[in-house]
Amino acid sequence: MAHLAVPTAGPGRWTWLLFSFTRREIVSRYAGSVSGLAWTLFHPLAQLAIFAYVFSQVFRVGVPPGYPGVTYVAFVAVALWPWIMFSEGMTRAMGSVGANAGLIKKVAFPHRLLVYASVLACCVVHAVGFVAVLVVLKLFGEPIRLSGLPVAILLMVPYMLLAAGLGALLAALQVLLRDVEHVVQVLVTILFYASPILYPASIIPAALRGWVEVNPLAWFSERMRQVLLQGAGLVPNDAVVALGCVAVFFAGLWVFNRLSPSFEDFL
Amino acid sequence: MAATPALISLKGVTKDYPKISTGGDRLRTLAALLFRSREMPHFRALEDVDLEVVRGESVGIVGENGAGKSTLLKIVAGVVRPSRGTVDVNGRVGALLELGSGFHPEYTGRENIHLSSALMGLSRREVREKIGGIIEFADIGTHIDEPVKHYSSGMAVRLGFAVATVMSPEVLITDEVLAVGDESFQKKCVAWLERYLSGGGTLLLCSHSMFHIQTLCSQALWIHHGKVRMSGPSFDVTREYLTYHEEKTTRERVENKLALGNGPRIADAWMERDDGTRASTFPRGQALVLQGIATEPDDRPPVLLFGVVRIDGTAVYGSHSNEHGFVPKRLEAHRFAFAVRFDALALLPGKYKLRVHALDTEGLRLHDTVEREFVVTGETRDYGVVELAHEWRQP
Repeated sequence: MAHLAVPTAGPGRWTWLLFSFTRREIVSRYAGSVSGLAWTLFHPLAQLAIFAYVFSQVFRVGVPPGYPGVTYVAFVAVALWPWIMFSEGMTRAMGSVGANAGLIKKVAFPHRLLVYASVLACCVVHAVGFVAVLVVLKLFGEPIRLSGLPVAILLMVPYMLLAAGLGALLAALQVLLRDVEHVVQVLVTILFYASPILYPASIIPAALRGWVEVNPLAWFSERMRQVLLQGAGLVPNDAVVALGCVAVFFAGLWVFNRLSPSFEDFL
Repeated sequence: MAATPALISLKGVTKDYPKISTGGDRLRTLAALLFRSREMPHFRALEDVDLEVVRGESVGIVGENGAGKSTLLKIVAGVVRPSRGTVDVNGRVGALLELGSGFHPEYTGRENIHLSSALMGLSRREVREKIGGIIEFADIGTHIDEPVKHYSSGMAVRLGFAVATVMSPEVLITDEVLAVGDESFQKKCVAWLERYLSGGGTLLLCSHSMFHIQTLCSQALWIHHGKVRMSGPSFDVTREYLTYHEEKTTRERVENKLALGNGPRIADAWMERDDGTRASTFPRGQALVLQGIATEPDDRPPVLLFGVVRIDGTAVYGSHSNEHGFVPKRLEAHRFAFAVRFDALALLPGKYKLRVHALDTEGLRLHDTVEREFVVTGETRDYGVVELAHEWRQP
C-alpha cells in the first residue's frame, strides 16, 4: 500500500486498481437487477422516445435544412448520447468520493482514481449503447456516417476530460459543502435545455446566440452532428476547445488534489 | 537502536480535525485548505507524538476510547495526513484498519478479493497467484462465491484478514482486528501474526486486550488524550495502563465509616523489603514486610487486622492477629509495635492496597483503619490476582 510520504508508487502500480474500480462501477450499477446492463441502454432509449414524441409531434421542432434525409430521432440521438456520457460522468464523479467514504477512511490510495473510474465507466457503458443505436438507425435508413466514428471518438476525449475535470472539482467541493450536489442537479437540467441537443442551434434567437457560442456543450453537440450526419472532419477550433477542456481538467484536478488529503476529516 | 534504520519514524506529529458546525466554518475551512493560509477552527486529536519503530519490532498501542489511537494508526497507514510533524515510513505498509471495509456487498467473496488486493497495491498477476492461498486461509467454504452481503460479520472478517496475510507487508498495522472472529479464527490470526513476527515482520497493533499486546508486542505506547503518556516495554506500559484503569474505577469509593471513639489507633504503618528498606514497590515473589505502630489509650494490646485489596477494590486476602494468637509488642506506655511478613509475594504484578485495622482488645469493635498502596512489579502472562501453586502434569 502506498504511503503519502513515500512517493515510490509509480503510476503503473495503480492501473490495475483503476481497472478494478471501473469494472466495479460498471457491474455494481445494475448488480442485483435481472436484466443487468440492458437497463443502461434502455434508459437513454426511453428518454429518446419521449423527446422524439414531445418535440417532433407536440412542439413540431424540425430538422434544419443542412441535414437531408435525417429524421428528428436521429438528429437528437447523435447529440443525446454524448450529453448523457458527459452529464452522467460528471455527476457520478461528483458523488464518487462520498459513495466511497468507507474506503477513503480506511485505505490509502489515490482518491482521484474514483473520479476517473466514474467517468470511464460512463464512457464504456454509453459508448456501447451509442454505437448500437447508431448502427440500428443506419439499418433503418438514416444517413448516419459510421465513417465519422473515429473523429467522433476523438472529439469525445476532450469532452470526457471536461467531465472528469468538473467532476473532480465538484467531488472535492461536495465533501466540504453538501449543497454542491443540489446546485449541480439544477444546473445540469438548465444546461441540458440551454444546449442545442433537442433543437438545432440555428433556431436560437440571435440575441442569445452569444451564450451558445461560449457553451462548450453546444459546441460538442453541434460538432457530433456535423461529423456523424454530415461527414465533416476536424476543424482548427476543435483544438482550441480541446485545450480549454484540458485546462479545466487540470484545474479541477488541482483543486481535488489540494483537498484530497483532508477528505478523511470530513467524511 | 541507532544501527538499525527506523522503519517508521514519526516526529512531533499533531493532528487537528476541523470543527465544522456552521456553514461559515465550512467555507472558512475550504478557503484555508485551498490557499493554505488561514487558521481554521479545529480540535486536536493528537499532539506532538514521536514514534520510532525499527524493523522486526512490534509495538502495541493502548489507550482509552477516543484517545487518538486510531488516528495515529491512520497517519502511519497514510490514510490521514498529519497537521504538523513528519512521518517517514520506509517499507511496504499493510493496513487492516477495519477488516473487510473495502468489500462491496453485491460482489461475491472472490470478486471482492480481487478488488481489495488491488487496493492493497497488488498487481493482477500477483492476485492471480495468491487467490488460492487467500481462499484457503479464509476457510469459508462455498460462501466464497456468494455475495458478501449474505456473509456474517465474522465471515467478512475472515476474508479481510486472509487478504492481508498474503500481502507480506513489511509493516502490518492492525486496529482491534483480533477482537472479532470466532475463537478458532482468532487463534489462527494470532498464530499467523506470531509467524509473521518471527519471520522479521514489523507490527503496529492497537488493542484493548492487554494479553494480545503482551503476547505479540515487545514495545508499547500509551496514548492519553492525544499525547504519549508512556512508552517502553509492553509489560511495563500495560501494567501502568491497567493500574490507571483500576484506580479510575475506585476513585469515587468512599472510605468506610468508622466507629470512632477512644479506642486504639494505628499511629503509623509502612512496608519494607527483605533488607529492611522502606518501599512501595515489590518484585513479584520477593518478601514484603508490613510494619506498624498502634496506640491504645488504656494501654491494652489491640487486636490487629490486615487486608490486601487490589486497587479496584477486589478483596484478595485478610487475616486477624488473634487468629494466630499474636500480641503486638509493647514499646512504651500506650504504644505497640507489630509486623506481618509475606515471604514470597504471590500477588501478580499490579497495584494493591494494604489496609491495617485496629480493633479493641476483645476484637469486637473496629476503631481505626489506614491504607498503604504498593505495586508488585514483574512480568507475567497469568491471569487474576494471585499465583496459585500448581504444576502441569501428563495425565
